[in-house]
Amino acid sequence: MAEQNNLSAVLYKKGDLRLVDSPIKEPGPGEVQIAVQQVGICGSDVKYWKEGAIGHFVVTKPLLLGHEISGVISRVGEGVTHLKIGDRVAVDPHITCRVCEFCKAGRYNMCPKVYFLATPPDDGALARYFVHAADFTFKLPDNVSFEEGACVEPLSVGLHGCRRAGITLGHKVLVTGAGPIGLCAMLSAKALGASAVCMTDIDASRLEFAKKCGATHTLLVGRDDSEEGVATRVSDILGAMPDRTVECSGAQFAVNLAVHATKPGGQVVIIGHGPTSVSFPVVQTVAKEIEIKGSFRYVNTWPTVIEMLSCGKIDVKPLVTHRYRLEQTLEAFEMAKSGQGVKVMINCGQ
Amino acid sequence: MANPTVILKKQGEIVIEDCPIPEPKPGEVLLQMQDVGICGSDVHYWQHGRIGDFVVKAPMVLGHEASGVVSKVGEGVSNLKVGDRVAIEPGVPCHTCKNCKIGRYNLCPDMKFCSTPPVHGNLAKFYTHAADFCFKLPDNVSTEEGAFLEPLSVGVHACRRAGVSLGSRVLVCGAGPIGLVNLMTAKANGASEVCITDIDEKRLEMAKAVGADYTVLVKSRDGQEVARQIEEVMGQKPEITIECSGAPPSIQTAIYATESGGCVVLVGLGPADVTLPIVNASVREVDIRGIFRYVNCYPTALAMIASGKVNVKPLITHRFKLQDSVKAFETVAKGEGIKVMIHCA
Repeated sequence: MAEQNNLSAVLYKKGDLRLVDSPIKEPGPGEVQIAVQQVGICGSDVKYWKEGAIGHFVVTKPLLLGHEISGVISRVGEGVTHLKIGDRVAVDPHITCRVCEFCKAGRYNMCPKVYFLATPPDDGALARYFVHAADFTFKLPDNVSFEEGACVEPLSVGLHGCRRAGITLGHKVLVTGAGPIGLCAMLSAKALGASAVCMTDIDASRLEFAKKCGATHTLLVGRDDSEEGVATRVSDILGAMPDRTVECSGAQFAVNLAVHATKPGGQVVIIGHGPTSVSFPVVQTVAKEIEIKGSFRYVNTWPTVIEMLSCGKIDVKPLVTHRYRLEQTLEAFEMAKSGQGVKVMINCGQ
Repeated sequence: MANPTVILKKQGEIVIEDCPIPEPKPGEVLLQMQDVGICGSDVHYWQHGRIGDFVVKAPMVLGHEASGVVSKVGEGVSNLKVGDRVAIEPGVPCHTCKNCKIGRYNLCPDMKFCSTPPVHGNLAKFYTHAADFCFKLPDNVSTEEGAFLEPLSVGVHACRRAGVSLGSRVLVCGAGPIGLVNLMTAKANGASEVCITDIDEKRLEMAKAVGADYTVLVKSRDGQEVARQIEEVMGQKPEITIECSGAPPSIQTAIYATESGGCVVLVGLGPADVTLPIVNASVREVDIRGIFRYVNCYPTALAMIASGKVNVKPLITHRFKLQDSVKAFETVAKGEGIKVMIHCA
């Protein structure tokens, strides 16, 4: 094999993930070259590997995976003033057009011309080096580790959902689904001032873990439970109906539970991806004036999440359960696929 | 001259000189300029050489309320083609800083704004501009109306920040061009009653003609006194006040006049420091919000004109050719008319 200057994890097609060498790109104007340190594996990376597609995003040519990234600046392109070689950074995987109505209105996550790491056909960064837009690259303070830096991405999904829900001081919050995203939503809700966060799931071990990470209440959902029945138990546990619900599972049951459980005038934010269409209680939604909002990825979250990690308002460290080196990428993906861990981290540093 | 350009050489001296026709860079378009309105700020730079910390230190092209026709398209531009008639939003931000990313590009520290020194304006025959800040005009909107989108956008931004909506009772202080666009925008937003004040009777007549429900001729510097007059005329206090004069007595009036829990937005710029009845505002929770230019307003302003919701044509009172620009500026300086436009084609 030729000299591996830039060992990279490339998905050639469904089921065919290989470690190969890639060219090391030079940063252009407004870009930086990053020596990658930690990369978290996301459910979407695993899905592209297992099934070759998510919705209408299909892997039709080799795709570099990985979008939960931290690293060190190794080269700086022309015109970049806020970063220098050696800076430790976390990466927002967007590169947007910056000139459309969405970018200008502060909602760049809706940019129709977005380049997003590891969403086909855009390459990710599970490699030794990659190049990215400097304005989507953020310095990490000394007291935030590279692993935490890579966790800014999933935490951002949680924070954006909680922001969309308007979660604030004193709110009681229901989070449906206790996977990594539900956990990130719970951590964000607490940091935003929620007085209680109840998490639901069908898996008792996930709820045990959630309690260790800081969920104030948990509720195991049984196979034969009804949405209305669980909704009543949620409000019994919390002492009142939740003001806000963040749905992180994608399950139709959970969307229905969210509407039944949430207090009149409250908000339900849906992060979870499940079936394209679900049936949900529209009459309840109307009668209780429940707002249902979608939440897509995140926008303008890196500075806030980094700050929350630095000052200790969010502790994401317990979520990293398994660690591998870049050379062990296939093992790492098998572990992520098994569902045994929470966040699997790949160390790409040399 | 191939490209006659109106330049403020230094305080007090406007000349017309030939300049090279610029080439559009990637992302830009070359425009054959059509109409350029004159703003009070242009006149102020001419007469005083500065506005606050913005100082004219070198010759500067004037003009920022403009429309043009696309004559060349730079690399990568897909939203416009040669022949398109456009309104030009004069401020181009960096697009990448925190303010730009959160949708408040008007606060970008690296903003390049036409005819705010040291950035050149667009009062010339030819001019290049970022394509994403050029808005195509539908056939039923003239290039003069296109140029008017700039001051109209100030009204759109102020009404947004003030929260004007259906049923709002609004006070507008000052009936100059900016007061008038705020009046018109407030009504377009559904305000049920708009009262407008000024020290000049003639300006109030124009305000009535474009839709003011009430007018108050200001004869006193006593803010509380004028506030009482306003409340009497309207029958109750306004919920929202849009202050467009910058005059300290008027800003004081704005606070006293506004209903508790309401909002005062400051559009007018006057002295840097002003004495305000701050305790009155504070204990009645009257919010005071600053307004700087506009952000993401051009599409709305254009829709207002294209749909006929506002008619700005009566506000264009004087027209000059490019070669008579100095006369145009003198007309504005004398306080004549409302909007003076210079035709560059």
